[in-house]
Order: sequence, then structure tokens, then C-alpha cells
Amino acid sequence: MLVIIPALNEAETVGRVIADVIAALRADVVVVDDGSTDATARVARAAGAQVLSHPFNLGVGGAIRTGMRYASRQGYSRVVQIDADGQHLPSEAARLLAQLDDQQADLVIGSRFAEGYARTSAGYEVSTLRRLSMRLLSRLVSRRSETHISDTTSGFRAFGPAAIEVLAPIYPSAYLSDTVETLLIAGDRGLRVVEISVAMRERLGGTPSSGHFRSLFHLTRVILVVLLHRVRRPVMQRGVQ
Amino acid sequence: MTWKLVVFVSAIAVINVAVVIEFVRRRKLGENFALLWIGVGLLGIVLSVARPLIDNVANDIGVRYGPTLIFTGAILFLLFVCMNLSMHISRLTERSEILAEEITFLRNRLDGEPRV
Repeated sequence: MLVIIPALNEAETVGRVIADVIAALRADVVVVDDGSTDATARVARAAGAQVLSHPFNLGVGGAIRTGMRYASRQGYSRVVQIDADGQHLPSEAARLLAQLDDQQADLVIGSRFAEGYARTSAGYEVSTLRRLSMRLLSRLVSRRSETHISDTTSGFRAFGPAAIEVLAPIYPSAYLSDTVETLLIAGDRGLRVVEISVAMRERLGGTPSSGHFRSLFHLTRVILVVLLHRVRRPVMQRGVQ
Repeated sequence: MTWKLVVFVSAIAVINVAVVIEFVRRRKLGENFALLWIGVGLLGIVLSVARPLIDNVANDIGVRYGPTLIFTGAILFLLFVCMNLSMHISRLTERSEILAEEITFLRNRLDGEPRV
């Protein structure tokens, strides 16, 4: 099993996250260093992870794509995706993995919004704009999949062999597409998606991303993607293997 | 502006939006640029039926002939788009140089010595 940790300037926290993950899951860990300018890569290597360093910043989706392709090339049959800021608990990752087996699911989403959209399970308050967009995306995506998905943008996920095979070659890298669009692709290809609510802790360090205008732009963009998804040509497989 | 002209201009704007969506559908155009051009198309539709509004705004800021305001706006906007694309090209150039460097180093590691 492989744990993918996308990291951008997370030298403060990534070491502890890796140590926790290795202790709790006994998995291989790959940190995808997305063009960090701090000691992220060195810290991650010292903590016992494989490190893949992008030559420049590609965004979190690009980092996950690299991680997924690495998993596919190296022949891993199960993958867990965990954030480097320490919000995702390794013990909860174990629950995601258990769902893969118990529910015979191909893709398990860890939802932050077990108690509604007002707060994440890490206790952070959610702004009105974000709350509305989360609801809207949940509705748009759930309409196209067999299960209701409340947290379409969660970056806390577990992938089984079928999901790795389908998604690794065509993983969308654009911001929000990496989470939302993958759910639509999963639906198209008949992957079984399951969502469970997960506990999270406050981030150990680092700051949350992006301002209002950018968020609104990305939201509009991903809504366009969701609305056009049905009629769009599927992505060609891009050189894997 | 006669109604024929309004229909003509709006038709162009609608076609603009339709073509953009078709390119996105064929995956010839990224969604980021698509949003920009859909925005332009929608603005075109609004402007085509908003002649009185344009004339009022032009009057308020001291422009005597409404359409010149549109021309000025359009030219400034296209200038902005050109600047933006230039910036994109600069960034892409820089990235391809970085990639070439990276490949050079990798080749060096594989071959033992750099090729010319």
C-alpha cells in the first residue's frame, strides 16, 4: 500500500505526518514535493519517505497525479491520499482502507462535513461562499453518481486497484478538478464510490489557501466542467508506462 | 440602432459562446480560457441590446458618441488579453528551459557524461 502526501513548503509539519503514517499504517510513503522552496524534500526523505520533486509548481492536483502514476507504475494495489498539514489522521486513513475492503468499494472519500456544512470536522468555521459552493457541488455531483457525496472536494481519499487503473492515466490536475472531476470519471467508469465521515484535527502548521476572487473563479470553472462533463470527449490516455 | 442590427450583433455573440463551448467539448480549449471567452460573449449579448445604457454612460463621462466608448473599451480589453497571453508565453518559455535543464542532468546521470 502507498500513501501519497502532496506537499508545498510544509517542512514544519511533513516530518511528523510521515512518522505518524508509517507508525499507524506500515505503508510506503511518497511525498510529492510540488516545487517547495523550503526543506520539505530533505525533511521528508529523513523521515523515511520516497520523495518525488516537481521541477516547478504544478498545483496540488498535479502532485496527486504524479503520485497516482507513481503508484500505478510501481504496481501498488491500494493508495491513500493524505494532506501534509496534519489535518488528516492516520487512524482515520485506516478506516478509509477498511471501507475499501468491507464495502467492496473502489474509491472511499473521507468527508469533513459530517455535522453539516457550518464547520469542518477539524473545527474550522466555513465561510458562507464556501458553504454554498460545497452544497452546490455536492448536489451537482451526487446527481450523477449512485451514492450521495457531501464533501466532493475532500483530499482525504483511498483508492482500490480498479480506481488506480482507471484514474492514474487521466487524472485531472486542475484545481478542484482533481477532486470533483475524478468523482464524475469514477461514475462514468462504474467505480463504486463510498463516503464516510471522518474526524480531523487542526492543522499543525501552514495557512489555508486562496482568496475570494480566485475561489470564485475556480468554482465557476469547476461548475462548467461538471455541467459539460456528460457531453465532453473523454480524455485520451496520456503516456503512462 | 435598428432591431436588425441588434439581432445581427447578438447572433454573433451567441455564436461566439457556442463555438467556445464546442471547443471545450472537444478538449481543444482549456476551461480557464473558455471562461474568459464565454464572459466576452455574454458581455457582447448584453451590449448589443443596451444601446441606451451605453449612450447614457458615454454622456456622463463626456464622450459624445456612444460607440466610441465601446471601441475604446474593446481595444483596451484586447490589449489586456495580449499582455496576459505574453505573460503566459513567458512563463511557458521559462518552464521549458527548466525542463531542458532537468533532462540534461538526467541524461548525464544515465550516460555518465553529457551529450552535446
